[in-house]
Amino acid sequence: MNKKALLLGNEAIAGAIVAAGCQVATAYPGTPSSEILPAIAKRADELEAEMVVEWGANEKVAFEMAVTSTFAGARACCVMKHVGLNVAADPFMTTALYELKGGMLLVSSDDPGPHSSQNEQDSRFFAMFAKVPCLDPADAEEAAAMVADGYSLSERHGVVTMLRPTTRISHSRQALDLPSSRAPAPKLPVAFERNPARWCPLPAIVRTSHPRHNARLLRIQEEFEHDWGRYNFEVKAQKPARLGVIASGIAFASLCDVLVEQGREDVDILKIGTPFPLPVKMADEFVARHDRILVLEESYPVIELQLTNRTRVMGRSNGFVPEAGELLPEVVADLLARALGEEPEAPDAEFVSLMDELRLAPRKPTLCAGCPHRSSFLSIRRALPSAINPSDIGCYTLGINQKGIDTSICMGGAVTSSSGLYLAHKVSGQSRPVVATIGDSTFYHMGVPGLLSAVYNRHSFVLCILDNSSTAMTGGQSHPGLGEKPRKEDEGVAVDLIKLCHGCGVEFVEVVPAYDNAAGVDAVKRAWQHAEAERKPAVVIFRHPCMLLRPKQDVIPVTVDPDKCVGCRYCIDYFGCPGLSFDERTKKTSIDPNYCISCGACRAACPHGAILEEKR
Amino acid sequence: MQLIIAGIGGQGILFTSRVLGQMAIDRGRTVIGSEVHGMAQRGGSVISHFKVGDYKSSLVRRGQADILMAFDQTEGLRNLFYLKKGGVFLVNAGDEAVFQNTSLQKFLADRSIRTCRFAGHEILNQHMGGNYLFLNVLILGTAAGLGLEGFEKESVVQALRELAPPKHLESNLKVFDLGMTAARN
Repeated sequence: MNKKALLLGNEAIAGAIVAAGCQVATAYPGTPSSEILPAIAKRADELEAEMVVEWGANEKVAFEMAVTSTFAGARACCVMKHVGLNVAADPFMTTALYELKGGMLLVSSDDPGPHSSQNEQDSRFFAMFAKVPCLDPADAEEAAAMVADGYSLSERHGVVTMLRPTTRISHSRQALDLPSSRAPAPKLPVAFERNPARWCPLPAIVRTSHPRHNARLLRIQEEFEHDWGRYNFEVKAQKPARLGVIASGIAFASLCDVLVEQGREDVDILKIGTPFPLPVKMADEFVARHDRILVLEESYPVIELQLTNRTRVMGRSNGFVPEAGELLPEVVADLLARALGEEPEAPDAEFVSLMDELRLAPRKPTLCAGCPHRSSFLSIRRALPSAINPSDIGCYTLGINQKGIDTSICMGGAVTSSSGLYLAHKVSGQSRPVVATIGDSTFYHMGVPGLLSAVYNRHSFVLCILDNSSTAMTGGQSHPGLGEKPRKEDEGVAVDLIKLCHGCGVEFVEVVPAYDNAAGVDAVKRAWQHAEAERKPAVVIFRHPCMLLRPKQDVIPVTVDPDKCVGCRYCIDYFGCPGLSFDERTKKTSIDPNYCISCGACRAACPHGAILEEKR
Repeated sequence: MQLIIAGIGGQGILFTSRVLGQMAIDRGRTVIGSEVHGMAQRGGSVISHFKVGDYKSSLVRRGQADILMAFDQTEGLRNLFYLKKGGVFLVNAGDEAVFQNTSLQKFLADRSIRTCRFAGHEILNQHMGGNYLFLNVLILGTAAGLGLEGFEKESVVQALRELAPPKHLESNLKVFDLGMTAARN
């Protein structure tokens, strides 16, 4: 029996993956995909499913774990966010041509907007690039249904199949059935059979596997033309249509709601759930029937660019549809009006002038009150104010609020950026301190190769690993340094961070408590002296658990002595805890009891000793 | 019914949308909504969309929301554009002075927006030892206090029973009543 539950889109996808009989599930966390793997583990535990559920150290690792298990015939999935697919691109592009034995579902969640990402790239383009089929759900219910159909497609053709939800699908909440049964295991028992011609992409082999894959892709496209009516279908207008809209994903759902709200009955819709390979005949025929065609898809023009005749198409490639950002319902309504040659709804001028008058700024994301990263940034800056501070992807990117970071690119980029900045100065005969920050999970993810390379090439910089025992930004998932695994009673081994750094060839590795400003300043200074003198990177590990883990720690209520506070704002500009508030009239800092968690860390932030423990 | 919940990451907004969803399910209604997780949750501006009825999209369009629940005054005011004419604005007000602004008063009056201001932090300081995590239940209480359809006490309490840990039930009920009282004043 299935029972209705209020599910997060990611939980619906996870439930469907377990129900589809997946045997090997891997992932690296990344918003908006992070909740999928934990939900798979929870569901597998509830159903006592024979299934392994594991975090890989990064997306390439996770993808290879999953895809090679299909070589032996297991049914597998790998889950990541869009930029994670960049990391996994190497095995993804190559295994795309393989004839897999077990079903392989790749879930790559995109983040149009973006809400919590460094770019808005469209994974559907990656599917096109790799030439693998891609499924693009319009809501969570459809995403869950696509899992089973995706596996069946994958197993029929032996092909990697991509499911591409977006943030609005992954983080939607809907009352859905959570299936309580599990599909039977693959017919053939799991057993690896030697066949190098199938599993080794030597050039001579690719010369036959690539054309074979192209033929397979044409068969898949034919399937999408005729047999996937559940996901590719036309919603006909009640009245003669004045406009044809080709829509996919959340844009299709928002379009439907806008049409109902406006009582509009003169728009035909072609809904596409399989953007690659596009059922081109179906789409071309739809285009031919309409004088005006609007294409609504997120976030790049993937469907649009596959249309044979784009002369009458209004879309993203000709700038009619905004070329960046989400297609929010108001954007859809606006585009709809303009595509029909009507006046779009004017923005509410009174609201705009009201906002101008009230001057209400949106609140920026910030590190939590008591966050150890904030203290680490304070120490790093105090130790070497002239240093360049490369950083990485994680909560600590918010160190930008306290002027603690200068650069950030991608996972692991802090280490390699330090190398690059060191080299730029070295080649021009200069020396300038470089002190980088990276999180513990990010260091295990992709920091290690950069550090190896820096030791090998003799690069002088300090790498500060902000070890909060968590993959914090994405919700506190485990990683190799912690050793915990997603399924109950499945224990891993914790890989020691200090030994790992030594193993990379780093001699100077010191651990300091993140809240201890004096120790942090001292360690960073000495680390730089070592790095400069020995021409080697040095590592300082700042340790304190993430506040979201609710660690037990000393409760130190604080107060600001107004006589000592000179109004310099240092604590606001270079520490910036939500628990500190600055009164522009009195030019004094005070403690905001709404946010302060009494960690006592801000005492170190005041250069004038005005923030003191409150004696009660 | 279309609803926007606005506030700051960490204020317990996600729990509110779960309670609303459970209430809708208990009434046999279709429900769809959209939440914010990740970077956007770290103390920054956060909004949840929530729709009960025959909708396909999880997102509320500007000018279409029946109710705006604001955990934070500034976030509430910034998201007023979501409210339709005659909508309800429930707001945890901290700064009374803003509501004396004549442009704001005119804006709300022109659109017949029914505003319910309550001093959430003050109430929780006074009665709940300053535990602001109860703000979500308090705001549900104010909706019930206004007599909004679908927010009847029994249905909120039933959903809280299903979703909240039993040890918090008594406190939750107390806070809910505080919210009801606040709305009636």
